[in-house]
Amino acid sequence: MKLHLRVWRQASRQSEGSFVTYEADGLTPNMSFLEMLDVVNDRLTKEGQEPIAFEHDCREGICGSCAMAINGEPHGPNAGATTCQVYLRSFRDGQTLTVEPWRAKAFPVIKDLVADRSAFDRIIQSGGFVSVGTGQAPDANAIPIGKGIAEKAFDAAHCIGCGACVAACRNSSAMLFVAAKVSHLGLLPQGQTERKQRVQKMVAAMDAEGFGNCSNQYACEAVCPKQISVEMIARMNRDYASAVVDQI
Amino acid sequence: MNKEILRMVQSSIGRKWIVAVTGVLMIGFVVVHMTGNLQMFAGTPDKINGYAHFLKSYPLVLWSFRLGLLATAALHIWGTISLARENRMAKPVGYAVAGRKSRLQVTLTSVTMVISGSILLGFIIFHLLHFTAQMVDRSYASMEAVVGGVTMPDVYRMVVTGFSKPWISIFYVVAMALLFSHLRHGAASVWQTFGLRDRNSAQLIEMGSWILAAVLFFGFSSIPLAVLFGVLKL
Repeated sequence: MKLHLRVWRQASRQSEGSFVTYEADGLTPNMSFLEMLDVVNDRLTKEGQEPIAFEHDCREGICGSCAMAINGEPHGPNAGATTCQVYLRSFRDGQTLTVEPWRAKAFPVIKDLVADRSAFDRIIQSGGFVSVGTGQAPDANAIPIGKGIAEKAFDAAHCIGCGACVAACRNSSAMLFVAAKVSHLGLLPQGQTERKQRVQKMVAAMDAEGFGNCSNQYACEAVCPKQISVEMIARMNRDYASAVVDQI
Repeated sequence: MNKEILRMVQSSIGRKWIVAVTGVLMIGFVVVHMTGNLQMFAGTPDKINGYAHFLKSYPLVLWSFRLGLLATAALHIWGTISLARENRMAKPVGYAVAGRKSRLQVTLTSVTMVISGSILLGFIIFHLLHFTAQMVDRSYASMEAVVGGVTMPDVYRMVVTGFSKPWISIFYVVAMALLFSHLRHGAASVWQTFGLRDRNSAQLIEMGSWILAAVLFFGFSSIPLAVLFGVLKL
C-alpha cells in the first residue's frame, strides 16, 4: 500500500512552516497511522534528514498525545478514535493525506506536528482538582455514589486532554475540555465543596489563554476520541450561572 | 454590583448568557409582533388600526418598551460582536484542507450568524424608518381612519401602500428569510447556553427551533406577499 503525504514541517516555534511532500511506500493496511509515520521517519533518518516530529506515548488510545489533523479532521476520519487508533485500511491505496498540527492560537506549534498544549495544564492548575488531605488511600466505597452519578461523572472523566475539541472548533474554543473537567468533579460528592469556585476559576483561566467561545456547532463532540457529549458544556453553563447567582 | 460579578458577566460564558437572554427577549417580541400583524387578515381594516391605536395610547408604557427593546438589541449586538472577534483571533490559521462538513457538523445557518444578524439590523433600521418614523414615504403621516368615532392613523392603508411596491415587499421577504436562518441556529443555541439541552432533548430542540423560525417566516412574509398578489387591498 502507498500513500502520498503532505506533512507540515516547521523547525521551531519562531520559524515559518510549510508543507513537504513524502511518498510512503511498502505499507500494509493493518499498520496504524503512527506506524506509517515511523516507516517514513526511518527512511528520513537513514537518508540523513530530520525525521517528522510528532507526539505519541501509549499508542493505545488513552494518553491523548498523538495530536494531529489528517485532511483537516483532528485524529483523522474515524469517530471515537485517536490518531494512533486509525489504521491505514481507513484510507484508499494511493490517497493523498494532508497532515497538520492542531491549529489554534492557544496551541502554538513547537515543531512539525507538535503543538504546545500546556494551556490545558494551566486551566487544570486553576481549579481542576479536589483539595483533600493526603494520607492513606480511602476505602473504595467509603462514600457511596449512585450508579447514575458515577456513570455520568465517568463519561466526563474519559477526557484525555488531547485538544481535538479545540482543534476542530472553528473558534478554537476549549469549552468541551473545560466542561468535561468541571463536570467530572462537579458531579461527585468529593467535588462539591469547591464546585462554584472551580467553574469560575477554570473559565477565567480558559478565557485568559486565548481560546475562542462556543458557538454551538458541536464539531468538538464529533471529533472527540472519547465521544464526550456537549451536554457537559450545557452543564458548565448552568454551573457558571449558579456561581454568578451565588455572588449576588 | 460587585467587581467579581461584573467580571463574571463579561467572561466568555457570561456574555453567552447575555446573548441568549437578549435573544429570547427579542424572539418573544417578534412572536407578539407577528401575531399583531396577522390582524391585517381580519377582514376589516378597523381591527389592525384599533390595535395600533391601542398600543400607542399609553406613551409612557410605549416608550419604556421601546427603550427596553433598544437596550436588549444593543446588548445582543455587543455580546455577539465581542465574542465573534475573540473567535476570529483564537483561530489565526485554519487547516490547509477543510474537514468534511458533515463530520464537523458545519451548517450554513450557524456559520452565517454574524452576516444574517448584520443584515437584519439593517432591515430593522429600514423598517423603523419605513413604518415608525414614516420617512420612506411621507404620505403615511396623513393617512387617517375613523374607528368607532375616533380618528387614528390608518395603519392598514400604510401597509398596503408600502407593500404595493415590489422592491419593498421583496426586501421584507428576503429579510424574513434571514430571520429564519438566524433563529434556526439561535433559538436552538439558547437551550444549550441555558444548560437545558441534553442528548434526549437535542432533536426536539433542533426541530422546535426550525418550526418556530418557519412559523415566523411564513407569518411575517404572508403580509407583503398577500399585498403583492392582491389578497390584501384597499
